Amino acid sequence: MKITFKVLRFHPERDEKPHFDSWDLEVEPTDRVLDLLEQVRGFYDGSLAFRRSCAHGVCGSDAMRINGRNRLACKVLVRDLDSNTITVEPLLGLRVLKDLIVDMDPFFKAYRSVKPYLIHTSPPVADGRERLQSPEQRERFDDTTKCILCAACTTSCPAYWSNGDYVGPAAIVNAHRFIFDSRDQGAAERLRILNEQTGVWRCRTVFNCTEACPRDIKITQAIAEVKRAILTGKLD
Amino acid sequence: MNQTNSLPVNPPANYETSAWKWMRYSAFLLIPLVWGHIILQDVVVGVHAIGNDPLGYVAQRWASYGWRIYDALLLGFAFAHGVNGLRQVAQDVIHKPVARKILNWGLFFFWLVITLVGAVALIAGVRQMP
Repeated sequence: MKITFKVLRFHPERDEKPHFDSWDLEVEPTDRVLDLLEQVRGFYDGSLAFRRSCAHGVCGSDAMRINGRNRLACKVLVRDLDSNTITVEPLLGLRVLKDLIVDMDPFFKAYRSVKPYLIHTSPPVADGRERLQSPEQRERFDDTTKCILCAACTTSCPAYWSNGDYVGPAAIVNAHRFIFDSRDQGAAERLRILNEQTGVWRCRTVFNCTEACPRDIKITQAIAEVKRAILTGKLD
Repeated sequence: MNQTNSLPVNPPANYETSAWKWMRYSAFLLIPLVWGHIILQDVVVGVHAIGNDPLGYVAQRWASYGWRIYDALLLGFAFAHGVNGLRQVAQDVIHKPVARKILNWGLFFFWLVITLVGAVALIAGVRQMP
């Protein structure tokens, strides 16, 4: 099938503002958008810049706006888009470095601010083995372990677009992953951070994040659970 | 099995927490107030009946202190709910701490003045013309 493939381009040394380039491509309905980007870079314009790594929806490198929605280019098939025109743009809310590559530093700074690692101050268990937890305790935060840090959620959030100080959905999801982990002792500290002006209260339950997540994490629900933990002081 | 997460996790309440809670509590209070208002105006009395004699209807409402207080509460909570929502939206585009503080206090006084003027008018009523 023939499609028109449009990409929002920006070269920081040449362009004053972004512009669209388009190509008429012969593609298969089962091609992924990432395949189209590779086709353009390989055959038409070697200067097209985009991130990719595993190409199987695991590394989270190739999140971008595809026909107006944040998705992973490696997970979206041409037939899924049901259109003869496919438009690809960089993520919103982060500075564009070149073409589809955005500056992820603010995103990872927000991620680091919620201490996304296991905090445990007591000594290791006597037998030297791992700190155990029951399947039920593990289930409590299972959903938020699936995050691949692609930034599709955070950059789909209108509150984040207008206020980059907001930590954003991805940081809250990763805080949730440890706050509700029975082995962790840093919940109070994380909840204190998320109770600040830049924390969970900026969320207005728009649900864009939940819709954008390529891993189907129930992000708005996770944010609500963190809000409830702050208000009640309970982690049930 | 380790269960270490039972440590106290309550972060101290701050302005953001209170504002968020206020939004929810005022919404709960608004449910009976707004529905009571709508049912009375549109169903029990009816807009056409009010339209035939609007001044008479207002005089009838103002004859009862209960309705005056009801209307003052409706004004206060609905306006507070709206102003707090406006504050949330404005914080998205106002980023400087000083400007935010001015916004918070400005909106608070805006709410207070309008609610007080409205409450005084509703509860104190009007002087009857001789």
